[in-house]
Amino acid sequence: MLRQDSNDDTEDVSLFDADDEVSRRSKKSKIRHPVASFFHLFFRVSAIVVYLLCELLTSSFIACMVTIILLLSCDFWAVKNVTGRLMVGLRWWNQVDDDGRSHWVFEARKVSAQGNKASSEAESRIFWLGLITCPMIWVIFAFSALFSFKVKWLAVVVMGVVLQGANLYGYIRCKVGSRKNLTSMATNYLGKQFLRQTVAKDDQTAS
Amino acid sequence: MRDLKAVGKKFVHVMYPKKSSALLRDWDLWGPLVLCVSLALMLQGGSADSKDDGGPQFAEVFVIIWFGAVVITLNSKLLGGTISFFQSLCVLGYCVLPLTVAMLVCRLVLLAGSGTVSFVVRLVVVIAMFGWSTLASTAFLADSQPPNRKALVVYPIFLFYFVISWMILTFTPQ
Repeated sequence: MLRQDSNDDTEDVSLFDADDEVSRRSKKSKIRHPVASFFHLFFRVSAIVVYLLCELLTSSFIACMVTIILLLSCDFWAVKNVTGRLMVGLRWWNQVDDDGRSHWVFEARKVSAQGNKASSEAESRIFWLGLITCPMIWVIFAFSALFSFKVKWLAVVVMGVVLQGANLYGYIRCKVGSRKNLTSMATNYLGKQFLRQTVAKDDQTAS
Repeated sequence: MRDLKAVGKKFVHVMYPKKSSALLRDWDLWGPLVLCVSLALMLQGGSADSKDDGGPQFAEVFVIIWFGAVVITLNSKLLGGTISFFQSLCVLGYCVLPLTVAMLVCRLVLLAGSGTVSFVVRLVVVIAMFGWSTLASTAFLADSQPPNRKALVVYPIFLFYFVISWMILTFTPQ
């Protein structure tokens, strides 16, 4: 039983899982929930596509609007209830106590002691990519609708911004909640990236 | 499908407004969205394929319902209500159900004819459903206010459902 040295992910190496290391490394880049990943992106992207192509597809404003609204609501439900939980292990909801006060709860799944991270990097990348870029696109649409005076589309665009922005905000708060400070998390991330780049450069110059 | 069952339970609660807190405790906005979309669709006049197909009216209904609900919620919060923002939106949205039923009945009656008799029938139906909506939402919302402020909270709700009822009553197909 040869124990292989893994240079990149040395955090959770266990002495007894020598054979599992290879499979674990390949699992990190494999997608565990293909259906969830597909639907995570499908609803968002198709809502944007329908919004852009509605003039060409059909001359009925109402059909476009209803389709976009349906897609946006399906996307909101799917991302909030299903894909966030499966792909990155985060969830958030609103809790109403018995005395009527409501507060928001943000949770992140703890990494188990085995080091068996249930979320793969590829999934995490897909999730955050979809989550961040789509609200920004809707904000761009909002400005374009405002400035080109296409006011009747403003209702749809505002809905898009609100629904997708809500999911974005909720998941960012879930992620940040464990570290309690958005700026410290950002500097952490940037610092890690910088370090990784310099280490990679060192490796290149050394070999 | 736990969400679907929750939505269905809330619809039943609106039709038989008992003093239970199920509507208030687990709020969700799916029911109001469905009701809003169906009401806006039913309030469309002409054919669905023309360029001038009442597009702005659809967005208008949407905006009136949601903006009106937000304003009422803000009003009740400013008056010192104990209900939260989304719970109030939830209740107001779900109580549009009787008016949606009234719209359906009106459209069916208008299929039969549009004379005085049909107008009287529609008037009666709309007034009955308007009363039902207002009573149902007041039953849930007025309790969160101190007793001398109840009228101040009920009045905007009355106005809100009155505007929707007016839109329904004055609807005439092309």
